[in-house]
Amino acid sequence: MSRQSLDQRVLDWIAEGVDSPSDDARFDALALELFAYQYEHNEPYRRMCDAFGRPPPAVGSWRDIPPVPTGAFKEARLATFPPSDCVRIFRTSGSTTPSRGELHLDTLALYEASLLASLGAYLCADDRPRFAVLAPSAEDAPDSSLSYMFDCALRRLGAPGSRFFASAEGWSPEALIDELRAAREPLAVVGTAFAFVHLIDALDAQGRGLRLPDGSRVMETGGFKGRSREFERPELHAAIAGALGIPARRIVNQYGMCELGSQFYEDSLRTGVPSPVKRPPPWVRTRVVDPATLADVPAGDAGVLVHYDLVNTGSVLAVQTSDAGRALEDGFVVLGRVEGAEERGCSIAADLLFAGRA
Amino acid sequence: MTSPDPERVIAALAATFSAWAEPDSPWRARLARELPCYSPEVLDHALREGLRCWTDHALRDIRCCELADGERRPGRVAVWLAASVPAGVFSALALPLLAGAEVWAKPSSADPASPALFAESLRAIDSELAAALHIGAPTEILDTADAIVAYGSDETIEILRARAGPRTFVAHGHKLSLAAIGPHADLERAAARAALDAALYDGRGCLSPALILVDDRAGGRVVDFAAALSHALEELAGTLPRGSLQPGEELRLRELRARVAMSGAQTWLSRDSTGHGVWLCAAGERPEPGLLRHLPVVPIAGLAGLFDACGALAPHLSSLGVIGFGAASGALDSAALAGGGSRVCALGRMQLPPIGWRHDGMGAIEPLFGSPGLAS
Repeated sequence: MSRQSLDQRVLDWIAEGVDSPSDDARFDALALELFAYQYEHNEPYRRMCDAFGRPPPAVGSWRDIPPVPTGAFKEARLATFPPSDCVRIFRTSGSTTPSRGELHLDTLALYEASLLASLGAYLCADDRPRFAVLAPSAEDAPDSSLSYMFDCALRRLGAPGSRFFASAEGWSPEALIDELRAAREPLAVVGTAFAFVHLIDALDAQGRGLRLPDGSRVMETGGFKGRSREFERPELHAAIAGALGIPARRIVNQYGMCELGSQFYEDSLRTGVPSPVKRPPPWVRTRVVDPATLADVPAGDAGVLVHYDLVNTGSVLAVQTSDAGRALEDGFVVLGRVEGAEERGCSIAADLLFAGRA
Repeated sequence: MTSPDPERVIAALAATFSAWAEPDSPWRARLARELPCYSPEVLDHALREGLRCWTDHALRDIRCCELADGERRPGRVAVWLAASVPAGVFSALALPLLAGAEVWAKPSSADPASPALFAESLRAIDSELAAALHIGAPTEILDTADAIVAYGSDETIEILRARAGPRTFVAHGHKLSLAAIGPHADLERAAARAALDAALYDGRGCLSPALILVDDRAGGRVVDFAAALSHALEELAGTLPRGSLQPGEELRLRELRARVAMSGAQTWLSRDSTGHGVWLCAAGERPEPGLLRHLPVVPIAGLAGLFDACGALAPHLSSLGVIGFGAASGALDSAALAGGGSRVCALGRMQLPPIGWRHDGMGAIEPLFGSPGLAS
């Protein structure tokens, strides 16, 4: 099985859209073929599978494919292709740790196809709104998968006048607020959660909120722990709704991560009912597992989220997160980061001791 | 508060330790229920073996050696605990009492059970002495205590040191320990002892071996040792099982295992769980310390290699557990000292220090009368 053939089969599925059948047999077959390919061409991953006693012959279902913890992306180059073929590297934000994970890509075709299929379906299924982006552009933040996603969305889904309201140097909320206040056509205001917190603060400081044109929508993504303020997500959505003058049902949270080519959306905009449930597209599966065993937790119980994303053809398709979640019939809810254990006893952190690690 | 007779204090503390060490101690059983990060088997072994020598003789020796003036008392001592190693908690509480102090202790968030149960067990032996031990100290006590004994991160230590001002301050900051396998060691025996040191308290304390150094000048011994260590850890999983982990700990272990496996290092990882793991490092490598029952093994070239490895940890080395170095014991003391270590002990005894050991190079009770700012 060639990489090109695998890519094409994934692209074919994506082209059928997020509402195409969630075909388990199709997913299983593709996942197992992709796993075998990644085992053969991704050396660090092969070592891990061998060390865990899980080479392809020992894996009978996509559920048994060994997942890579997101933290491992910080040290290993997890790619199925040589560095010379790399066209883009996305890096994690490093919001909670000093080192950053990396996703190496030799093609952006699958990434773009997946993001456009999902974002298009969950945020702008019926129109092409003008985008106001509360994030820097891909030019300003070339290693940000989020910026790349927004860049792509603007190019392919946005109406003329769509633009970024942040740069590498920062952002001016006043310019954005002026733009939002002057808008007469529906907008898609998209950005990181903490950017919305700053926008709300800026509107509070002005003493008056906004009323976005009917049909406008908001998409927020990413965490906001350790930032200027912390909100629970429903509280954030309520604050956004109040500040921007749009109904809460037109606010969508997107859940994604640098290490994955696909993203997950709430379907509030499609159903008209606010919901915290994240919907995986058909080419992605998510398990909720017990971190001690990696076995599925009983239905409805909380566990750790593990994603299997066929779009990750050039890296690893199975990614174990540090996010807690709960499975539901049609998706999952994210409960937040798994609380890290306290540092062991009175031992010192490795980076303090071994800064000069060989 | 009047100071109880020293002999009465010694007798009460020794009886309390004995109550914890006896074969069917109800205190150990309660602790096992309230501190699930350790299995009952680990607590049984660690406390029965560890407290066996904490006798009235040992306590009396400490007073005799460190209190030239038997009338001195340290007054009120605030003890700010960290970590979750019960024997360490017991000595942290008992030693100021032995010195005649009134003790106000703040348990660590990781282990509220050990201090409370120790106080309760002391009360069952001698309620009057137990009245001098207050668990759950308010922060304000830091402003009125005559001495502060602080355990924890460097950041915590510095905050408390600033709060102590000119008063006596005894700091036990971040430390870790090493195991070293000498040229004369029987590798199977050494592996069994190193595994025991790792399994007791599940690698959580500063006396747990964070990595293992193997004299490999003869070549090939380090691989044989690593394989034997993995086997020994696997066997101990049956007799001294690991305690419960928090989900975050499981994730950290899974990440460590993945990173180690991906690195290309030779590994011995438990297959169906995150139970244990051993991996081989290159000579001269300074690996990150092990985690729980996962340990890196590093080849060294003789005592010079041991000096280098210890020195790289300076000043954070606590103990050095050794086996098979023959007559080089004086040099081992020097190697430990190069890393700031104050204790060289036999492998297999790393978790079982005597109560009077010179923790961080200090006496057991003498620092409570010490000069301001005394640090580890």
